[in-house]
Amino acid sequence: MPLTTVQNIVKERNRKMYKTNQKNETVANGKNAKTYQFKNKGLKKILLSLFLCLTLVIGAACSTDTSSSNQSEEQTANSQLIDGDFTIGISQFAEHGSLDNCRQGFLEGLAAEGFVEGENLTIDYQNANADMATAAQIADNFVGKKYDMIMAVATPSAMHAYNAAAGTDIPVIYTAVSDPIMAELADSEGNPLGNSTGTSDALPVEAQLKMIREIMPDASTIGILYTTSETNSESTIAIYEELAPKYDFELETVGVSTSADIPLATDNILKKVDCLSNLTDNTVVNSLPLILDKAYAQNIPVFGSEVEQVAIGCLAAEGLDYIVLGQDTGKMAAQVLLGEQEASEMPFQTISESYLYLNKEAADKLNIELTEDLLDRAKEVFENIEQ
Amino acid sequence: MDILIGILEQGLLYGLLAIGIYITYIILNFPDLTVDSSFPLGAAVTVKLISMGINPWLSLIPAFLAGVVAGLVTGIIHVKFKIKDLLSGIITMTGLYTINLTIAGQANLPIFQQSTIFNTESNSLLPEAITPFSVILIALPIVLLCKYALDIYLKTKSGLLLRAVGDNQNIATILAVDSDKVKVLGLAIANGLVALSGAIVGQQQRFFEISMGTGTMVMGLASVIIGLKVFDRIKRLAPTTKALFGSVLYKGVVALAIALGLSAQSMKLLTAVILFIVLIASRDEENKVAYA
Repeated sequence: MPLTTVQNIVKERNRKMYKTNQKNETVANGKNAKTYQFKNKGLKKILLSLFLCLTLVIGAACSTDTSSSNQSEEQTANSQLIDGDFTIGISQFAEHGSLDNCRQGFLEGLAAEGFVEGENLTIDYQNANADMATAAQIADNFVGKKYDMIMAVATPSAMHAYNAAAGTDIPVIYTAVSDPIMAELADSEGNPLGNSTGTSDALPVEAQLKMIREIMPDASTIGILYTTSETNSESTIAIYEELAPKYDFELETVGVSTSADIPLATDNILKKVDCLSNLTDNTVVNSLPLILDKAYAQNIPVFGSEVEQVAIGCLAAEGLDYIVLGQDTGKMAAQVLLGEQEASEMPFQTISESYLYLNKEAADKLNIELTEDLLDRAKEVFENIEQ
Repeated sequence: MDILIGILEQGLLYGLLAIGIYITYIILNFPDLTVDSSFPLGAAVTVKLISMGINPWLSLIPAFLAGVVAGLVTGIIHVKFKIKDLLSGIITMTGLYTINLTIAGQANLPIFQQSTIFNTESNSLLPEAITPFSVILIALPIVLLCKYALDIYLKTKSGLLLRAVGDNQNIATILAVDSDKVKVLGLAIANGLVALSGAIVGQQQRFFEISMGTGTMVMGLASVIIGLKVFDRIKRLAPTTKALFGSVLYKGVVALAIALGLSAQSMKLLTAVILFIVLIASRDEENKVAYA
């Protein structure tokens, strides 16, 4: 750019600034100065609000892609497709392996009954990321959009969905709710209190205790780490306390409130027990690698509650298959969608069948022998501890 | 339409939370983290009382008083023991977690089978057309009553002293006012309002969950800032009203995000971005943000 042009531009700018300053000086508190400042601020605000809207739109575009890519592509349309268009809103409480498995199984169960996503079924999947207020707004949103059905994964989402849909005729199907009776979704006999039903993932405590006794005939105390904010933990521990004496076990429990408390709590509990047993407690399960490290250092076995935990190093588990749980839920949902039964007439279902999972490398590390019986009975035996 | 009603509902229910944070953060200039636990405290008290059979309207009063006590504790820790404002809030917040669990007895306490202020028998007398609005119609008098009471209070001598102490501690000393007492009073009132907000939210969602307070400080602060800055130019609106509108606006943004299909992961980032933009767009000449 030629020097004269630059000089001209600079001169122009200086002149404008001089004019402005003059204006501000001569009309110090007058209307003109104020309107000048106002115009500048207003423009800034408009630009920033536009930027905000742009962010929202871009964010929406990006995330609709990611959430739709979560859908399972393995659905097989078995029976003939049902006529009609159905929309189901899935409200999941958190990102978690078992919950994701439930959702996948749910879609498979529906597909087997003739409701295939993309053909006669639209799914709106929302994840609250463990935030209560978001879960409430997701439920309100689904009810406002008048979906044919709401599927809720995990207790807090189920309770919000139940509350939001009360008074409407939208059925709520829940899954992975450990204790629907304590959540007041069903009465003490299992009959629904309202237009909602579903499946419960109550832990097979008896089978777990039996299995622990089989593997460790001389153990006397079982330790359980749990999070005080998870009600499912409380009700499962109550069942443990009821059944433990039957197998000559004593129970030792230590509660934590956040994952930061887990290292100290683990050190504490390992001093008092012969083995640890896990619940489906999100916080504890997320910190499992740390707990396993400490337990192995003390040569104390950790028994898990589901297959993924055994894969990463727990000795054994009597666990539920969450995909099967989801499939059962899908079948119940199909019955409601077809109008064969009302959700308010179907008592909630629990899976009673549990599967044994074993980890050979864990057993070797702990010098525990896995008998032939156990190995034969197991649904899956892991040779190595996955990293 | 239903979504709009939902936004109004949520905005109103969390409105007292915003007003409470307005008192501590804006008037008193005291970042009070107690609200993360005094919010569920109100819910715990009211839900526990309802589950024991107490009248839902009456159960709101102990909830408010419980919040007042929580605020008093924070205030006393701050003034008597000279602990910094942020830390005294954290101390109360941590201690209240256990107290909330003890009051409710369990981490998740449903009251689906009991009547709340939103679904007592008298509500069934309402004509069909109004039932979708019933939550708003019932929450509105409570929120407005508290708001106007607070507005009147802020114009009394005691209320003006509250604002003076927050603005400039030296003025308060010159006026021979015990700024300690004033701070404690302000914290007590604010946390009482926050607990009341928690109580009506607990009654509307018909259960208490121990984690329902997590993130309420950020939510309330965002609501207050958005409200005060967006309605900055409208002088005739009282700041408490602006805080209320801010709460509705904030919930509206969240609902918009959900409706647009924004993943819940982005929600927190979205809140941060909105807050940032609102603060930047309304910086006044002294470059002081969050000042009303």
